[in-house]
Amino acid sequence: MRLLIAKRADAVHPGSWWLLGLALAVAAGLTSSIWIALSICVFAVAVARLLRTDAPWARSLGFYLTLATGIVVLRLGFRVLFNSGLATENIAFRLKDIELNLGFGPGVHLLGSVSWLTLQSAMLDGLRLAAIVLSVALANTLANPRKLLRATPGALYEVATAISVAINLAPQLIESLNRVRRARKLRGRSKKIGALAGTIIPVLEDTLDRSLSLAASMDARGFGRRGSLSSYQQTATRVLSLTSLAVFAIGIYLLFSDPALAMLAASVLALGVAEVLIVVKISSLKHVRTRYSSQTINALDLALWLASAAVIVFSVSGFGGVQ
Amino acid sequence: MIKISDVSFGYSGTENQVFRRANLQIGSGEFVLVCGPTGSGKSTFLKIFNGLAPHFTAGTLSGTIQIDGQDITGRQPHELAGLVGYVNQQPEGSFVADTVEDEIAYSLEQLGFAPSEMRKRVEHFANLLGVDRILKQNLMSLSGGQQQRVAIASALAAGQKVLVLDEPTSALDPAAADEIVDLLMNLAHQQGITVLLAEHRLERVISKADAVIVVNGDSSVNKFLPRDAFKEYRLVPPIVELSQKLGWQPAALDPQEAGNRSISPSQWAAKTEPSLGETLLSAEGIVVNYGETKAVQGISLQAQAGEVVVVMGENGSGKSSLIWALQGIGDMKSGQISTAWGDPRSMSDQRRLEVIALVPQKAADLLFLNTLADELAESDRVAGVAETTTATIFAKFAGRVDPKIHPRDMSAGQQLALVLALQLVKDASIVLLDEPTRGLDYAAKHRLAEVIAELQSEGKTLILASHDIEFVALVANRIVVLQDGQIVTQGSPADILSHEGKLPTQVAAALRTPGLISVSQVLS
Repeated sequence: MRLLIAKRADAVHPGSWWLLGLALAVAAGLTSSIWIALSICVFAVAVARLLRTDAPWARSLGFYLTLATGIVVLRLGFRVLFNSGLATENIAFRLKDIELNLGFGPGVHLLGSVSWLTLQSAMLDGLRLAAIVLSVALANTLANPRKLLRATPGALYEVATAISVAINLAPQLIESLNRVRRARKLRGRSKKIGALAGTIIPVLEDTLDRSLSLAASMDARGFGRRGSLSSYQQTATRVLSLTSLAVFAIGIYLLFSDPALAMLAASVLALGVAEVLIVVKISSLKHVRTRYSSQTINALDLALWLASAAVIVFSVSGFGGVQ
Repeated sequence: MIKISDVSFGYSGTENQVFRRANLQIGSGEFVLVCGPTGSGKSTFLKIFNGLAPHFTAGTLSGTIQIDGQDITGRQPHELAGLVGYVNQQPEGSFVADTVEDEIAYSLEQLGFAPSEMRKRVEHFANLLGVDRILKQNLMSLSGGQQQRVAIASALAAGQKVLVLDEPTSALDPAAADEIVDLLMNLAHQQGITVLLAEHRLERVISKADAVIVVNGDSSVNKFLPRDAFKEYRLVPPIVELSQKLGWQPAALDPQEAGNRSISPSQWAAKTEPSLGETLLSAEGIVVNYGETKAVQGISLQAQAGEVVVVMGENGSGKSSLIWALQGIGDMKSGQISTAWGDPRSMSDQRRLEVIALVPQKAADLLFLNTLADELAESDRVAGVAETTTATIFAKFAGRVDPKIHPRDMSAGQQLALVLALQLVKDASIVLLDEPTRGLDYAAKHRLAEVIAELQSEGKTLILASHDIEFVALVANRIVVLQDGQIVTQGSPADILSHEGKLPTQVAAALRTPGLISVSQVLS
């Protein structure tokens, strides 16, 4: 049953999961309520757990959970440790006040009385960060990275292939690492063949061999074929790339200079984005490849987009007054 | 289909050319076996047809190569992708996609086929290679044979007229390997695809091939009819060796052909039984699990001094896990192992060296230093034995080898001999070998068989994992066959490898004489 649901979730465009993850992360960043941050954490973990497949990238949820917990604990711990120690009302608990005299300026207070207010704000900070981490975890667990790469435009194809090859090589690297470590024990105690050289040299050799044989196989199957761009197209991409960079710089300057110019800044940035899109489109012409299966958009995708949009609108508009 | 004229190839920096002024022609739909001793340049020869040599191997190529009327000399591999399909030894190392259908479609995508045409071709070639039912499956979940089929389908999907395969069966068990060879023959004869296949175990292919190209390592490349190929060359599959020993003219190429002739009892001798000593190793109820996978499920095994026990079975049947568990380093969930010197699992790595030697599947995993001399000296130092002890053992196995050579530049046979020497430096009495014949040619296999016989006569116990039937027939005293981590049969080689058993040798299948399984038993 769970696997059936997971299969359904795997059919969703990986971009949709990232959209939802980012929308949740935005909401987590904007909120000032512990409860909203906490519910985002719970929601992200619950959805990821329910819908994840058995794929390698889906096994990292535990790591993200540990990271998120660590962030909250660390945040609370630091606030208690570097508490100014001067709170007088609403005291949660009292610890021994340690004053460090550094020999200059006022002394530094460690520990001391901790107020509820301090704990609350530390908790909020921690949970907000944790919620952002877990939103990314949601996207990372549910979005199939290979499908995501397949959805990249042609101009980014080489980069996408490099990442895809790395994904394939990682498990093989672990396999050869285990194999070599086991084999190394056969040689008994050797001073010269230290743990490092004795493991790294054979593993490196293995990895290089594999990479070369993969590269040969890819080349033999037509990877690296490219069409040519006319000189007119080449000039166009260069000019557009340069101007889009300039336009972005101006847009960002406007955005931060005067709140009244927000509208203008937004339209300048939009112009920059449009230019980049045209560059990517033209560069993609250079490639003569086609796609076997293109990722289709289904009803679930639309639902996810709507949900993401709702989350963003809701959080930008101040969470309907829940603070 | 293919015509090469005056083709020479040499690696930069060396005087010797891999081949010089080769001239030959290969017809459309011909099934050609490419053979030669290890390191003779077979792989390099195969790579000139799609530009991987010299573009990926470095070196210089001269002369002209024509395929399908086009001069392809000097062209890049990706330019030739639509003309020549290429499959290498390990399919899992060349996969780019994650599912079967995406993998088959990969070169179609690169060559810019229209999506509708692509779907048609993926379906057609998946069907042809028998992988149509597993199109949506993950490549890593497939068996070795299925993976190789997918690799072949993806090498042919764009309508390539030439298919080049570099030892595609070396990692497969005998049944899967035979299926792949039959499939390739059908592709050549029924689909008209020109197939060039490099293979060490000639016995698998020789009777099915239309021609044999011998890359001899002395820079000559010649094409023969299968029957004539062995008149001049010493790489001989068992059935041809049998013909030569008995003076059959012309030589028989496959068991059926040889089966029509007969052999008299005076022409062969039964295998001599070794004299066995005390039990050196005894294992009870060994269980090895890797996560959910049950690799070995309760195997018990005894081995005596002077005995060679061979563990056979398909890939994934638990051979390797069993060998490593017996050594004491490998994972083991439950079970008992005892040797004449105690339980190997409670010994230190150092102490184990005095009792049990193990040569892993990839011998080079144990080699890290820059010269052979360094490796030998380090071995003496670690073992605390007199200088040149290891070197003496190595010389006994491999003869004279330049001590300045980098261990990774040695042949597979020499690497095996080196690791065996490193492992036997303390004269361990139990020797474990995990698939020792991988990548060895006939000459190297015979040498290894001699080494094994020598160790056996010194009263050592040897346990081998192998699925090389012909080699097993040469060395085994007892065979244990595994399936899914359990022993399904065990017995003498004369029973297990006989014409009535599941794993008949060529000689057994041909002569159907009880007790006769190997050419070495035939008296010339």
